[in-house]
Amino acid sequence: MSAISELSSMSRRKGPVTDEEKRANRRDNKAAYIFLLPWLVGLVVITVGPMLMSLYLAFTDYNLLQPPEWTGLDNFTRMLGDARLHNSLRVTFTYVLVGVPLQLAVALLIALVLDKGLRGLPFYRSVFYLPSLLGGSVAVAILWKQIFGTTGLVNQVLAMFGIAGPGWISDPSTSLGSIILLHVWTFGSPMIIFLAGLRQIPNMYYEAAEVDGATTLQKFWRITLPMLSPIIFFNLVLQIIGSFQSFTQAFIVSGGNGGPSDSTMFFTLYLYQKGFGQFDMGYASAMAWFLLVIIGAFTAINFIASKYWVFYDD
Amino acid sequence: MPFFPRPASASAPGAAPAKPGRAKRRLRATGAVAAAAAAVLALSACGGPAQSSADGTVELRFSWWGSDKRAQVTQAAIAAFEAENPNIKIKAEYGDWSGYWDKLATQVAANDAPDIIQMDEKYITEYSSRGALLDLSKYGIDTSKLDEAALNAGKNEDGLTGIAAGINAATILANPAVFKAAGVALPDDKTWTWEDFERISAEVTAKSPKGTYGAAAYGTDEASLGVWLRQNGKSLYTSDGKLGFEPSDIAGWWDFLKQLSEKKAVPSASEVVEAEAAPLDQSGLATGKNGLAFWWSNQLPALEKAAGSELKVLRFPSKTGKAADTQLWYKASQFWSASSRTKHPEEAAKFINFLANDTKAGEALLADRGVYPNSEVRAAIQSKLTPADVKVVKFIDQIKSELGEAPAPPPKGAGAIQEIIKRYSSEVLFNRLSTQDAGTKAVDEMKSAISS
Repeated sequence: MSAISELSSMSRRKGPVTDEEKRANRRDNKAAYIFLLPWLVGLVVITVGPMLMSLYLAFTDYNLLQPPEWTGLDNFTRMLGDARLHNSLRVTFTYVLVGVPLQLAVALLIALVLDKGLRGLPFYRSVFYLPSLLGGSVAVAILWKQIFGTTGLVNQVLAMFGIAGPGWISDPSTSLGSIILLHVWTFGSPMIIFLAGLRQIPNMYYEAAEVDGATTLQKFWRITLPMLSPIIFFNLVLQIIGSFQSFTQAFIVSGGNGGPSDSTMFFTLYLYQKGFGQFDMGYASAMAWFLLVIIGAFTAINFIASKYWVFYDD
Repeated sequence: MPFFPRPASASAPGAAPAKPGRAKRRLRATGAVAAAAAAVLALSACGGPAQSSADGTVELRFSWWGSDKRAQVTQAAIAAFEAENPNIKIKAEYGDWSGYWDKLATQVAANDAPDIIQMDEKYITEYSSRGALLDLSKYGIDTSKLDEAALNAGKNEDGLTGIAAGINAATILANPAVFKAAGVALPDDKTWTWEDFERISAEVTAKSPKGTYGAAAYGTDEASLGVWLRQNGKSLYTSDGKLGFEPSDIAGWWDFLKQLSEKKAVPSASEVVEAEAAPLDQSGLATGKNGLAFWWSNQLPALEKAAGSELKVLRFPSKTGKAADTQLWYKASQFWSASSRTKHPEEAAKFINFLANDTKAGEALLADRGVYPNSEVRAAIQSKLTPADVKVVKFIDQIKSELGEAPAPPPKGAGAIQEIIKRYSSEVLFNRLSTQDAGTKAVDEMKSAISS
């Protein structure tokens, strides 16, 4: 936050601007735009173009093989009566509302432990970060499938204690839980950010608190959490946005069908099935825009709520 | 190649450049423009269908789904064709069934469809009615030697959009090793009933080590449902493209599945779900975990290869215990189709003609895609068939007199049916829905899938 205010004060510099400076500015801008060009072309061609196209398609009946036909709000009214879509929303919300807080809590906990000045910190940091690099990948999802299968590692261990575990990912009552667990396991990137945030908290607060006889828990609640709240907020926003869009894990673990009995049918997975499996690309586009609205709303709520709990120390 | 060539002044320190700042800036700007242009060019080079090159060679893309074994035999057929037609190159694109249809739909939408497409009966109406497939009757493919029923399966309102690649039938395959280990005799498929199926499977499970079951569960595809419905006087689809059964019919099918599950004749619900995702080589039958399983006849050779032991082809059980009441049918295992937007329809048709009618193609493909529909090719390759292929061909011949009426072709939207069956089968197996409720919901969904 402070960096931004510095920047703005720089541009509000007092004094007249000379012609020479203006010309130099313009030249610099031109060069800047030219350097931006590759990215800009990519953004327009690969992101904005298809997005506008999908906005148009959202109001059409488009089966991929024939030209789209304008149907107005038809796709959106269909969404109201689509029970599988409602189920996919329920699955996705459960995933986000359970998975994200859990993952952030674990990330914060590990960050706090690592922050205690462990020897070999870079090593542990890398080890804990590793799942984040792997977590979204196909290979790990396949591994997860093996570990939590009916005859997988988890059940083999349980069998040693005489417990017959269920097929964690093939039983509808536990399948979503095991995917949430996979998500929590990839706590590395929020952890790294928390760790950086913890390093930023001035030691003098803790020293002052110790002089006043504060306990460890009090220090955590009264100093660490408030000082860390902007970082928590940042992680929360990012993770919520990311989790709403998560696709790969459920796709691989369920074999692409969101099963068993739609228990891991994420919104994005249903969207994919509609669009590419059932030749209903118009409907899939409408779903994509609906998801955008949901994510937008969540982010807006997050920002509004942040006024009440995020503490900026400036 | 350096992205941003250093200005001359930088590499030659002795020289005194005029206006150093501006020259450097201009050079940098040029570099950036070049980089941007390169990026744009790289982007535009990604797409685009195969083109004929300057020397007159035509490149065709050919996509199919199937096992490793199928890839080998198909590549051999391609090689035989290319040897005869040096100016046509065939580029193979193949993969698993599960990803095949998503990919094909995307390619067709992007106007990037393969020139030659392996089609399935579930999707051929969908693609034909939407103008994505070429009417092959206009391109001089010889159909005179082809089995008539198989040929007709590729005809529809939009012309001849697929040439049958093989004939197969729904079967139950048995792994004799599992039966032997359990000390249970293989059933007599000419007289067995569904009660026998249940009793024998449960017995095998009881006498086998934990994790081995007498039979794989049905409920993951429409073939086994189709047989059940036909034996009960119904059908999957009617000839006017509607659903041919009621919720109570499919509920009865699930009732029996639940009964099988409760008697442990088939694996637990969780194991059924896991088995669904397994490829052919990892299937319960191939790994010796199932004594009986539901497969298409042409899949026997690939399954035997994966199992490393002999398998036996059985007829489906019937209600009456008479082979004549099993109500099986000949199915076109798959079709050769061509994209309606191919740049080289003549060459694509030539290749399809080769696959369908040339003995050399037959010698490569043998019975991997089912029994050859071309009677001459079938006779010519007889001596080349492997023992597994011979078993399949024999079975197809044996059941000829017992066949039921040919089923109505799957209507548009039928590609979604299998997924619906699978989903509600697991709802039933996990006791989340009663069979009656599952029947009602499934039929509703199926109706809307094939009416849209």
